[in-house]
Amino acid sequence: MAQELLKVEHLSAAYGGIHALYDISLKVDAGEIVAVLGANGAGKSTLLKCLSSEKKAAGGTITFDGKPLPAKPYQVVEEGMVIVPEGRQIFYKLSVKENLKIGCCLRKDADGIRKDFERVYAMFPRLKERENQYGGLLSGGEQQMLAIARGLMARPKLLMLDEPSLGLAPIIVNQIMDILKEVNQDGTAILLIEQNARKALKLCDRAYLVNVGNIVAEGAGADLLADEKLMQAYLGQ
Amino acid sequence: MKILLQQIITGISIGSIYALIASGYALVYSLLDFSNWAHGEVCMLGAYVCFMATQVDAIPFWLACVIGIGGAAVISFLNERVAYRRIRNNGSPNMFLMIAAMGLSTTYQNLANVIWKSKFKQLPKLFKVGTININGIFIGKTDLLCLVLSAIALVILLLLINKTKFGLHVRAVACSSRTAGLLGIKIDRVIAMVFLLAGALAGLAGITYGMKYNIYPTMGNVGLKAFIASVIGGLGSVPGAIAGAVLLGLIETVVSGYISSGLRDLISFCLLIVILLVRPSGLFGVDVQEKA
Repeated sequence: MAQELLKVEHLSAAYGGIHALYDISLKVDAGEIVAVLGANGAGKSTLLKCLSSEKKAAGGTITFDGKPLPAKPYQVVEEGMVIVPEGRQIFYKLSVKENLKIGCCLRKDADGIRKDFERVYAMFPRLKERENQYGGLLSGGEQQMLAIARGLMARPKLLMLDEPSLGLAPIIVNQIMDILKEVNQDGTAILLIEQNARKALKLCDRAYLVNVGNIVAEGAGADLLADEKLMQAYLGQ
Repeated sequence: MKILLQQIITGISIGSIYALIASGYALVYSLLDFSNWAHGEVCMLGAYVCFMATQVDAIPFWLACVIGIGGAAVISFLNERVAYRRIRNNGSPNMFLMIAAMGLSTTYQNLANVIWKSKFKQLPKLFKVGTININGIFIGKTDLLCLVLSAIALVILLLLINKTKFGLHVRAVACSSRTAGLLGIKIDRVIAMVFLLAGALAGLAGITYGMKYNIYPTMGNVGLKAFIASVIGGLGSVPGAIAGAVLLGLIETVVSGYISSGLRDLISFCLLIVILLVRPSGLFGVDVQEKA
């Protein structure tokens, strides 16, 4: 059996008194790609906020790599769990290279950092070409690549992506999905939060379907994709 | 012509003191989006700490200056640690930070009044009121010293912000503190360091101001001028704050020299209003919509 990396049990979260997540349980094994799908307002982003310790859970437990999730966002990064936030959130006044440097800000291994720079530049040649330009000057697709590259610079065990396909042309979305596959083959587990269900289901090993704060279905990506009733009911496609 | 040149040098000299304080405003504003009204008082307290140190015979003047600068840095750090951090972390609007800063400002001013009374204090003059004569242009030695010290400090600051890892983290937090935090930047530590740095610069400003003029409990009002300078330069921009400060220093000395020193402050504040009306983002400013 694969090693369990992330385990979420009975997680609930609320804004003020209003529940956004209710009794969510899910897990990600080492080396897996897991997708969390759901329409707008289903609670996907709230889940990520809890996982990155940006928001305190109202109940339940989150365990990462056998330990409870630390309380501060930077400690979560230290543990090896890194988020590629929704809307990319590039530091638009920092250069591409500086953006990547922020990604590895907690690392001390100069050699490893240099190797990872080479690795992400090989993965994203466009970023190498534009390394001294401001992040804000990149196109949407390039910014998404930079956001992923920046996340990889932390050498995560688990990379969490919040809607990486948002606002991108289909051809770019395909590129992004290919890249995620490649990242995963290098041994990084991936938790993918998406609205673009078909693309995500094709990519992932397993998926969870979230609706109004609850998990309504889970299973292998291909199985969910084949279940037309489910797809229609919750994803409208 | 010679008089004008003299005025210009005096102007740059006073402008460099404004620049030390204004860059602290800009740094804090760029990170936390609020105007730290207690910053002028940090400058005043730095000057008093230095003055107290000079009263001890065993302490040479340079050491007293270092103590003053360190004292200001610590006070600025404590403002953040005790007041601002709590307000930041309990989800209050930014307006609360500004109000807390105003409260601190008034508290410090009155405390200084109680402790040191309102009588003017003087730091020892390093030089007898001397001037250097370059081809008939007379430059005050103290003016020149202020200018040199401030210039060194500001160059170090700019190098720190633009060339070091710490500076990169500051710029990232200024861009988006949320994202920086998610990627592993220790936000609270960066902010604390920035308050130390801003405080040290304000301390140096207070001491140079004290050497040029006097020390008194309301001398923190020089912070208002520095605030105008940072608005002229564009809130949140350190280079802008420095440029704005030098410009303001020049305008003030020229106005005092050729029109009337009574009109000096009037014109400075009118300038503030005009800038806010005509070019609210200032000379170097960007993203007014996002930050103001």
